[in-house]
Amino acid sequence: MENVKEFKPQAVIEVTDEGPIKVTGNILITDAKKDIVDKTNEVLLCGCGRSANKPYCDDSHKR
Amino acid sequence: MDKPKSFSGGKRYTNGEITVYWKPDACVHASHCYRELIEVFDPGRRPWVDMYGASTDQIIETVNLCPTEALAWKWNDETKNKDIDPEQTNHVCFRRPDLSGPSEEEQQLKEKPAVIKVMPDGPLVISGTFTVLYNGIKKEVNESLISLCRCGATNHHPFCDGAHRKSGFVDN
Repeated sequence: MENVKEFKPQAVIEVTDEGPIKVTGNILITDAKKDIVDKTNEVLLCGCGRSANKPYCDDSHKR
Repeated sequence: MDKPKSFSGGKRYTNGEITVYWKPDACVHASHCYRELIEVFDPGRRPWVDMYGASTDQIIETVNLCPTEALAWKWNDETKNKDIDPEQTNHVCFRRPDLSGPSEEEQQLKEKPAVIKVMPDGPLVISGTFTVLYNGIKKEVNESLISLCRCGATNHHPFCDGAHRKSGFVDN
């Protein structure tokens, strides 16, 4: 199954009105050293600086 | 220290051996420069570039990390500028190619992932081909890069304006 190419739509980065940054599609999340952190298809990233689970959103912006 | 000399769109600094070119308008605040070599690139100091703060090799290595054209360099001895690999450097003679035009292999580009680089204590630097939606605006980014605020302190929301450094933003 590993050789089966999964189609991923082009990436969309959506800065939501509530704060977090929603990233979907063909994305690769890395750190500064180019180590792969995440290859997920959809995730919310923190944009307010208050998440305890950075770089991901943990809904801290609502509090 | 020598005063930085202005050039069109920016400033330049030299240690006699190399010249570093600084174009502030092109900076996306990815922060590689001051994280790697604060002795030379210190945003809190004026002038912010001290060409005598580290060796020439260290300065070249750090300038090459800049993801934009904001920092570039060249040898002062022009004969040494001929043997530079343009793929590997931010050498001023090999400005990063402008890939914003239509691509012959557009489909192939679409299969390449957008790379979201989480800068330590800094922004999200997102590169590749993707769509950005913000404040009701839809922006297509084609083989280029943007930098999004992750600290909440920017005055240019949703883009990074370098405010994370002054606000003291740190990861967990």
